[in-house]
Amino acid sequence: MMRIERLLPIAAFLAAGSASAFCGFYVAKADATLFNDRSEVILVRDGQRTTITMSSDFKGNVRDFAMVVPVPTVLQRSDIRIVERRVFDALDAYSAPRLVEYWDENPCQQWRYAIAEDMADMPTAMAEVRAPAREKKDRDHGVTVEAQYAVGEYDILILSATESNGLKQWLLDNDYRIPTTAHEVLDPYIRSGLKFFVVKVDLERMAAGGYDLLRPIQVRFESHKFMLPLRLGMANSNGVQDMIVYAFTRTGRVECVNYRTVKVPSDRNVPLFTKERFGPFYKDLYERSWKREGRNAVSLEYAWNVTPSFNGMKCDPCVGPPPMTNELAEAGVDWAQNGGGQVFFTRMHVRYGRDKFPQDLFFQVTPNTEHFQARYILTHPATGDLSCEAGQDYLEELFYKRTREMDELYALTGWDLSNERDYMNEVKRKLNPQRRNDLDAPLLPMDGPDGGGPGLLVLALGMMALVIGGMLARSGRTLINA
Amino acid sequence: MTTIAHRLIHFLRRDARHFQIVFLTTFLVYGTLELQWETEWARYALLLGTCFLVQAFFIRAKGLPWHSLKSAAITGLGLSVLFHADHAWVLVLGAAIAIAGKFLIRVRGKHVFNPGNFGIVATILLTGDAWVSPGQWGSGPALVFLVGAAGLTVLLRVGRIDTSIAFFATFAALDLCRTVLYLGWGTDVWAHRMMNGSLLLFTFFMITDPMTTPNSPWARIAWSMLIAVITFAMGSFAFVHTAAIWALCLVCAITPILDALAGGERFAWLPGHSKSPLHAAPGVASRIEQRIQAR
Repeated sequence: MMRIERLLPIAAFLAAGSASAFCGFYVAKADATLFNDRSEVILVRDGQRTTITMSSDFKGNVRDFAMVVPVPTVLQRSDIRIVERRVFDALDAYSAPRLVEYWDENPCQQWRYAIAEDMADMPTAMAEVRAPAREKKDRDHGVTVEAQYAVGEYDILILSATESNGLKQWLLDNDYRIPTTAHEVLDPYIRSGLKFFVVKVDLERMAAGGYDLLRPIQVRFESHKFMLPLRLGMANSNGVQDMIVYAFTRTGRVECVNYRTVKVPSDRNVPLFTKERFGPFYKDLYERSWKREGRNAVSLEYAWNVTPSFNGMKCDPCVGPPPMTNELAEAGVDWAQNGGGQVFFTRMHVRYGRDKFPQDLFFQVTPNTEHFQARYILTHPATGDLSCEAGQDYLEELFYKRTREMDELYALTGWDLSNERDYMNEVKRKLNPQRRNDLDAPLLPMDGPDGGGPGLLVLALGMMALVIGGMLARSGRTLINA
Repeated sequence: MTTIAHRLIHFLRRDARHFQIVFLTTFLVYGTLELQWETEWARYALLLGTCFLVQAFFIRAKGLPWHSLKSAAITGLGLSVLFHADHAWVLVLGAAIAIAGKFLIRVRGKHVFNPGNFGIVATILLTGDAWVSPGQWGSGPALVFLVGAAGLTVLLRVGRIDTSIAFFATFAALDLCRTVLYLGWGTDVWAHRMMNGSLLLFTFFMITDPMTTPNSPWARIAWSMLIAVITFAMGSFAFVHTAAIWALCLVCAITPILDALAGGERFAWLPGHSKSPLHAAPGVASRIEQRIQAR
C-alpha cells in the first residue's frame, strides 16, 4: 500500500502535466472555517527587514481582546499599520489547495475539453492574552513602557522588561490575563532582548470607525532574526493550533530551518464524489499527512513566482486572481511597484503543539524558485454511446483508473469507502457482459488505515545492524588472533 | 548466505571509505523516500557524475591511483544530501569546485579544504543561487541513533572520533549554557537543537574527513573546538542557521599552520601508508597494501 501511494503521484503528475494547457474553469469556495483555532500571518522578508501582518479570528467580546507579541526592536509609530482583512482573503483564495476537473473525450466521437476547479481556503488567530479594557496605574516592576501609540482602533504599548515575574505582575496589574504556559517563555524572551508589543482595542474608536471585526495589524522591523515566536501563544500541552503563513521574498521560497518543511501530497487523482466533500477531504488529508510526518513538520501548500510583471504561468490553474500590486504593497511587499524586482510567494501551514514544537519557528530565505501547489484532480468520464470497440477499451481503462482513484482517496484520507462501490459499478454496467467478466476484481476497501510508517527507517537500521555486526565479528576475530 | 555476508564484511573492512559510501547512500535513500525530499534523482546523478569526471581528469593528469574515485563518490554523496540549487550548472559548478579545490589548493602536498564543504561555500558565495537546508532532516532521537551509530562505525575505523567528540561536546556545552542556563528555555528546547539531523551529519560525516583534519590528535581537538565556538557564535548571535559549514571552511584555512606547529602523521585511506598507530587497523588487508599507492 505504501509503495502504491508513493508511486502514484509520479503518474498523476505526468497525467496532470499533459492536460495543463487547457483553459476555462470555475471556482467554488469550501467553508472558510475549515480549521478551528487557527491564525494567519503574512511574513515579508527583504534583506534584514521583516514585515509581519497578523490576523486574529478572535470570537469573544472585543472588550476582552488583547494580544502580546514579542518583537526584536522598539517599534516606531511608522512601523505599525492596520491593514484590511481582504488582503488575507485574497492571498488565501489565491494560494489555497485546489481541486481541478477534467473531462474525458468520448473515443467513439470527438468532443471538446473543459476544466474546472474548486478550492479550500483556510483561515486564522494568534498569541493571545485576554484583558478587560480597564486601565489601572502601574507600578513598574522593572517594566518600561518604551512607546505608546494609538493606531486605528488599537491602543499599542511597547514594553521592555528585566525579568519575567515583573512583567507578569505588570500585565496582571494592568488587567491582562496571561496563559498558564506563558511563564516558561517570558524569561527566555526577555533575556533574548525581545520587546513586547501589547495591543488592546479602543471601543470608542472602533465604533467611530464603523468596524465590526478586528482588523489585522502589521509591524515592521530590522533584525537578523527571521522567526515567528509561537511559544507565547501556545495553548496547554495537549492542544494543537493551526497557522497559515503567507511568506514573500525577493529571491525564492521560505523554509523552516529547525523543523522539516514538507510538501503536502499533491497532484493526486481522486474520485468525482470528492468534489462535494472537498473541505472535509483536505482537512482529513492534512491531518493524515501531518501525522505521517511525525506531527512536527511544516507543510508547504503553495510556492510560486507572483511578480506582477512575471509573464510565466501564474498558477495551474488559478483559483483566484493573482495578488495585485496594491494588495502586495498592503501585505508589506513594498518593492513590487514599478517593476522593482521579483516577488516569490510561499504558503506554509503549521499545526503545532507544545510537545512537538519546543522551539519557535526559525526561517531562511532560499533561492529555490520551484513552483508548487496543492492540487487534486477529478476526471469526468466520457458521455454518450460507448459501445464501439474503442469505447469499450476506454471503459475498461476507466474502471481500473477509478480503482486507483479509490485507492488514492483512501490512502490520503483514510475514509471508509465501502458505500461508494457504485462509483465502480456504474462503469462496469456499461461494459458488455464478456468484458465485464474479464475484469479483475477490485479490492475495496484497501489496506489498514496506516498513514505511512517507519518502513525505510527499519530497513536503514537493519542495514546498519548488519554492518555493525560485521564490525563486531571482526573485532571478535582480532581478539581471538591476539 | 554466510558467504555473501562474509564477502560484504570483507569488502567493508578493506577500506573505511566503503563504510562511508554505504552509509551516505543509506541516508540519501532514507531522506528521499522516507522524509519525502523532493525527488531529485537527476540532481544526485549530476553531482556524482561531475565529481567522478573531475576526479578522473585529475587522476589522469597527475597519474594517481584509480581507487581515489571512491573519495569522489563520498564527496558526491555528501553534496547530494546537503547541497541544493535550482539550476543544473550551479550543481555542476559546486561539484567541480569541490573536487578541483582538493587538487589545486594544497599545502605541503595535503589539501586544505574539506572538498564538499568548500564546493558548497564557494558556490553560494559565487552564485548566490545555491542553498543548504538545515531543517531537511528534522530533529529526533531516531536520527541520533541512525547517524550516530553509522558515524561511530566509520570513525572507529579511521580514528577521527576525537574530532566528533570535541566538536559536539563543545557545541552542546556552549548551547546548553546559553539556551538553558542563560536564556532559561527548557531542556527540551536544547535537546531539539542538539538532535537536529544536519548538525549530527556534520558532526559525524563532514568535519571528520581524515584528509583535511589536522594530523596531530591535540591539534585536531583544538581545531574541532574552534569550529564549535564559531558555529555557536554565528548561530546564536547572528542567526546564521548554516553556521557550521562557514565555520568549517574558515577553520580549515588554518589547518596547515596547525600541522606545521603540531606535526603528526598524515592519514592514508589504505593501511600501510601511515606510520601512525591511530590509523593502522591491525591485521587488515595486508595483501592489498603493497599494490596501491595512496594519494
